[in-house]
Amino acid sequence: MSVIDHARRVLERLVAASATERILISSAALLLSILLGALLVLIAGRMTTCTVGDAVYYFGTGFCYNPVLVFDRLFLGALGDPFSGAWSPEGQFSVTLRETTLLIFTGLSVALAFQAGIFNIGTQGQMVVGGLATAVLVLQASSVVSGVIGSVLLIPFGVVVGVVSGGLYGSIPGILKAYSDANEVITTIMLNFIATGVTLYLVSGVFKDPESPANRTVPLPEYAQFPTVIFGGRQDFSLVALACGLLAIGGLYYLLEYTAFGYDIQTSGLQPGAAEYGGVDAKRTIVASLTLSGALGGVAGSMYVMMVLGTFQSGLPAYGFDGITVSILAGNNPAGVAFTALLFGVLKSGTTVVQFATDVPPQLVGVLRGLIILFVAMPEFFRLVGQRVVDPGSKPVATDDGNLEATDE
Amino acid sequence: MSDSSSETTGVNPGVDPEPDKEATREKGPLAPQSSRGLTAWAAIGLIAALLLGGTAFPDTILGILADIITDKDTFAAALRLSVPIAFAALGGIFSERAGVINIGLEGLLIISAFTAIYVTDITGEIWVGFSGGVVASVLLALLFAVVTIEFRADQIIAGLAVWLIALGLAPFASQVIYNSPNTPTVGTTRSISVPVLAEIPFFGALFSASPSVYMLLIAVVASWYVFERTAFGRWVRASGENPKALDTAGVNVNRVRYAGVLISGVLAGMGGSALSLDLGQFTGNGATMVNGKGFIAIVAYLFGNYNPIGAFLATMLFAGLDAIQTVFQLQGIGLPQQLIRVIPFVMVIVILAFVGRTRLPESAGEHYESGEK
Repeated sequence: MSVIDHARRVLERLVAASATERILISSAALLLSILLGALLVLIAGRMTTCTVGDAVYYFGTGFCYNPVLVFDRLFLGALGDPFSGAWSPEGQFSVTLRETTLLIFTGLSVALAFQAGIFNIGTQGQMVVGGLATAVLVLQASSVVSGVIGSVLLIPFGVVVGVVSGGLYGSIPGILKAYSDANEVITTIMLNFIATGVTLYLVSGVFKDPESPANRTVPLPEYAQFPTVIFGGRQDFSLVALACGLLAIGGLYYLLEYTAFGYDIQTSGLQPGAAEYGGVDAKRTIVASLTLSGALGGVAGSMYVMMVLGTFQSGLPAYGFDGITVSILAGNNPAGVAFTALLFGVLKSGTTVVQFATDVPPQLVGVLRGLIILFVAMPEFFRLVGQRVVDPGSKPVATDDGNLEATDE
Repeated sequence: MSDSSSETTGVNPGVDPEPDKEATREKGPLAPQSSRGLTAWAAIGLIAALLLGGTAFPDTILGILADIITDKDTFAAALRLSVPIAFAALGGIFSERAGVINIGLEGLLIISAFTAIYVTDITGEIWVGFSGGVVASVLLALLFAVVTIEFRADQIIAGLAVWLIALGLAPFASQVIYNSPNTPTVGTTRSISVPVLAEIPFFGALFSASPSVYMLLIAVVASWYVFERTAFGRWVRASGENPKALDTAGVNVNRVRYAGVLISGVLAGMGGSALSLDLGQFTGNGATMVNGKGFIAIVAYLFGNYNPIGAFLATMLFAGLDAIQTVFQLQGIGLPQQLIRVIPFVMVIVILAFVGRTRLPESAGEHYESGEK
């Protein structure tokens, strides 16, 4: 057990030493991305045309897009304008919480796999599979029960369907990695394309709603969808779903910190050699963590179907890819996911406000997402900058053990 | 299991496991080679059986399939479809052999596909637009190189960021400039036909194709030549396999890695420009018109064992399948389009399941820190 004890100490030291640093790096990455995003808005504002009256002027030059307005709308607009005096949770704030709820699940999905040292890019596909399975099976079941009892039975049933289908789909790359050593980054990306293609086929064929021109399933009855509690009904938000998300955060935190299985996952992620030497079944851990990760992605799909759309329609938003950003920004820590999911909920919900208030294309948030990932991936950059600021005369290369371990994950 | 874990996670980043190196090198390429060979032979056998069956029973589905496979147009379509994938795969080989895993090839294809159309649109010159696409791809590759080599970013995550940035930036720019994620159409490159040779049955497709196909064929041979016959090729390989030895020999490892990543930018840029200029339009909805070609390229060079010619043949296999499905659709043969579209992706997974572990260059994915600083 001494190897395991050693690994545990390494883990604790790493977590303690890097928690503050992680928060600092994540905040710096976010700030830098927003600054670059503002620059991009300015440049884009020079490339398009508008009337003189619509232009804003900085440094004596006219720009068609105003970055201050963009980010004001993006953040304050997403929160429902808390300083306007007429704030109500019913408006855009509910949309933000709705997006946050979905991102909690996709973020946790990516984070769990990362904790085991596995890069699950397939959350998107697992969510798509979970969503379609939920839409189809809950619809079938909804003819059996109805009313309040229907809600009490059907909603948990739908979540279970998401767990099982997403989990099964997630186990495919897990099995491929464990038993054929196939790189999970490639298999999960391929499985995303497969999920999108196959669900499109199914939803435009056998499962298609005959009364709709869109490729979607027959809508679920009202009682088979998440109920509105207190507020949010108009924006397809349910506090029940958000509560499920917070429970999932707590559950995953408990699993990772206090259970033997969670411990296996973390040691496999940090020191695979030591974990196996200490008696962890590496193959089983890989399959189990990817299955569980897929299950969380599947739940995101169920939530999307049972809370937001009420049906499955081809072309789901990219919550799965946003989950990667949410997780990486949170340092793959479940508790951190709560904050970064809210942040990305704001970004996603704010996008529509920006679209409403300005002419800036909504793809801007996609660019921000990429930039944030890029900057979080390069902690060394911020360390160098930090060192230069603290001690301008020092040698600008840091190579102590802690740094190596932190960057090598 | 323990040998693979030390490679993928770098348990002892400072210690070089010299004694083991020879052993892993000997069994490394051989183990996957046999199953890779098996898959290749299985594919060849399958095609041969199909052709035989086709000639024996010309009026059955086998006969139709055999007709399609031996058709010159199918071959021409396969060549055309393989252009972006094979270019990106060649780029991936340069980068990964130098020690930098470039998972952002998809992003390089997207950014160059858009820029090529944009520059063609404003200058009116197709080849200026083509170069514009290449420049955009090289700039993005340069960003990736700086981030991974200078700032020691995790190569996989940074590569993912490159993909996501391009995935957002290209439709964003298109929306700003053209008010739609899809660009208007511009002129396309004309195909060049070699007299007489173009008339040869089947292989005539090689002599009546768009310029990008010829460029690809030249690039494949040139890449092979660089790796097998030049000092630079040896440096690139050493930079990925044993950077310490390269350093000792007096070659700057990081400079070689920069070169590898930038060459991948040039090649992927040519692929992306060729892709959009072939159609004369960039479409930026959803996964954009690139739609996973960069990822298929990664699988193609893994399957081709980092050999430019192997990667090209693997690409032709995927592209050939795509070409066959297009013919199927034109002839109205059953099988829904959405399902046929996913066949290449399913094939990638099946191949990975059989070929399994692909032997990465020894030091790919690891940052190299020169001893003298």
